[in-house]
Amino acid sequence: MEVMMMSKKLLWIFAVTAMMLFAVLNVFRKGEAETPPPLSVHKSVAIDSSKCIAPASFMRANHMQVLYEWRNSSVRTGNRVYIASNGSKYEKSLNTCLGCHSNNRLFCFNCHSYANVKPKCWNCHLSPMETP
Amino acid sequence: MMNEQRREFIKKTALGVLVGLGAASGLVPAFSLEKTVLPVWDEKPVPGKIRWGMLIDTRKCKEGCQQCAAACHHAHNVPDFRNKKDEIKWLWQNPYQKVFPTASQQFVSKEIQDRSYLALCNHCAESPCTKACPTEATFKRWDGIVAMDYHRCIGCRFCMAACPYGSRSFNWQDPRTAIHDPVTTYPTREQGVVEKCNFCSDRLVKGQQPACTEACPEQALTFGDLNDPRSDIRLLLEANETMQRKPELGTKPSVFYII
Amino acid sequence: MIEKALKGNRSYWIWIAFLIAVIANGLSAYDQQRWFGLTVTGMGRDISWGLYIAQFTFLVGVAASAVMVVLPYYLHHQNEFAKTVIIGEFMAVSATLMSMLFILADMGRPDRLLNIMLYPSPHSMVFWDLLVLSGYLLMNLVSSWAMLGAERKGVPPKAWVKPLIYLSIPWAFSVHTVTAFLYAGMPGRHLWLTAVLAPRFLASAFAAGTALLILVSLILKRTTGFDTGNEARTKLAVLATYTGLANFFFLGTEFFTAFYSNVPAHKESLQYLFFGLEGKCQFVPLMWFSLISRCGFHHRSSCPGIKKINAMACWCLFSSCPLHLD
Repeated sequence: MEVMMMSKKLLWIFAVTAMMLFAVLNVFRKGEAETPPPLSVHKSVAIDSSKCIAPASFMRANHMQVLYEWRNSSVRTGNRVYIASNGSKYEKSLNTCLGCHSNNRLFCFNCHSYANVKPKCWNCHLSPMETP
Repeated sequence: MMNEQRREFIKKTALGVLVGLGAASGLVPAFSLEKTVLPVWDEKPVPGKIRWGMLIDTRKCKEGCQQCAAACHHAHNVPDFRNKKDEIKWLWQNPYQKVFPTASQQFVSKEIQDRSYLALCNHCAESPCTKACPTEATFKRWDGIVAMDYHRCIGCRFCMAACPYGSRSFNWQDPRTAIHDPVTTYPTREQGVVEKCNFCSDRLVKGQQPACTEACPEQALTFGDLNDPRSDIRLLLEANETMQRKPELGTKPSVFYII
Repeated sequence: MIEKALKGNRSYWIWIAFLIAVIANGLSAYDQQRWFGLTVTGMGRDISWGLYIAQFTFLVGVAASAVMVVLPYYLHHQNEFAKTVIIGEFMAVSATLMSMLFILADMGRPDRLLNIMLYPSPHSMVFWDLLVLSGYLLMNLVSSWAMLGAERKGVPPKAWVKPLIYLSIPWAFSVHTVTAFLYAGMPGRHLWLTAVLAPRFLASAFAAGTALLILVSLILKRTTGFDTGNEARTKLAVLATYTGLANFFFLGTEFFTAFYSNVPAHKESLQYLFFGLEGKCQFVPLMWFSLISRCGFHHRSSCPGIKKINAMACWCLFSSCPLHLD
């Protein structure tokens, strides 16, 4: 009876430890590639207009985080080059988005007005409505 | 008895795991239960490798010429409120005693007194403004430029008080009403944040010289890497006697003047 | 306890209505400022800090001055202050709250207030100021509420209240010292670039705060019948006198260093304030008013006729306001 309880207890401990280990290992995983190729930050990076930096569903849910990271990275760290999962390189700038989405002057506003979101980006940045 | 203890143990570990997972997904955005990580490669520039600086040859400044300031303000959508109280300036002309108040004011030659001297943010190596900022909205970049993060500035104006040179301006009202000739290549700022010269970091990233340096018809401005002993600016600093603004304050400015 | 504030006679409610009118006026002015920007305050590129920051500094001082009654009563059992202490502590609460609100009013982007906490910057004095002021506010609010509540119920206060009050004593000193460090660390501002700024701030704060406390206790006696006692007021007057004299002394040392050394940076700011510089003399009348009325207070407070309430009231007023200007 006691041996059974001991083994059940051990099983629990093992299961919990395994879960925690799984969590910890995933936290520190960054991505598949480890060594970045050398890039000069002084060269302006060409925008690949045929596809967005990420799938539309991802962007719809996460563009705020992407922009926030880009902003901190460009302004504060100096890392201006974004390399997407398919290997294309982009400059971490609002101009990257606006360069591709330039055919729609209401690009940001459509969804934001529907969702009743009022980000303050356009207080400073020139919106698609204002850029030619 | 054993059941109670086991219940407690399970409760605690379950809570711990939940908290751990929750914290992990909050703190590290790359870890999310939906597996939508996009690899971002870190290419952080090496801090301290480059130190940008500017040398102003005041002997070459022509009387009444404002091309540097005009180019700078135009390129960066700096507003012109046309009143002294609200004015915003990144680069401007000043008489000798305003730019060098702690230098000798006795028997200064008329020619030197009549000249105009450019004032701008000195991008100090030991800047009091970055020390004063409570949010690190103004901070020292890896390349020596004292940068402004307009997204983070709370508009407390402590940096303006701390700056010994008066290089900073505050947006006392909405700047967009006063930009008379806007460009679409650079954003504006908004009401309630402090702004100043940024050594044209937006142009440097494209490999261009700052707007003022390029616009000067007399090539009076030299911009370069102070850490590179073979750069133009360092060669000129070796060859000429130069002055700095208020060196006794220990701010170690990056702007030099040939008088 | 709040129900006590809802009971009063006509004059009380007229006073409350007046205060609400003042608050409403302030809120509408703030609304203007949020819309049009801080330009409506009259501040500009050359004077980027004005009355908001001056008020903040003065009120931090008044808040810190509560230590002048807390220290003698709790550490040295000077029981004359028994009834004054609670007033002092609540005065500290309201002064701290007001000073923090002045900072909020002065900010260009108050919606980003939390950035100070989200991106802590230990090298910045504003960061530490926010921390110590919030701590001081909480400390005083909690301890004085607990003390007042305990007294009302007729029970001894809880055991944790005393240590909190003891903590607030050095904390009060540090609050105003950190505020002084905000100014004293700036290399370009020679009026403030002096080691004596923090002692000066503390001396003037203690003098102004105690004078204000005397005034408050006189007003309370007149309007509510709650008398903190003449001994308490006399002791406070003595404290105000000595700290006021210390403040005078510090001002004197500043004048000596500035004018004897003849260094323009130190000299010219005092010249501008007290004598005018290059034809600009807006502050001269204010600074001399401050000096002369403080002299008047000291003359009066040194005389034995201090027992006359009206005289004390007037001179306290004349001590408090000018110290504000200082």
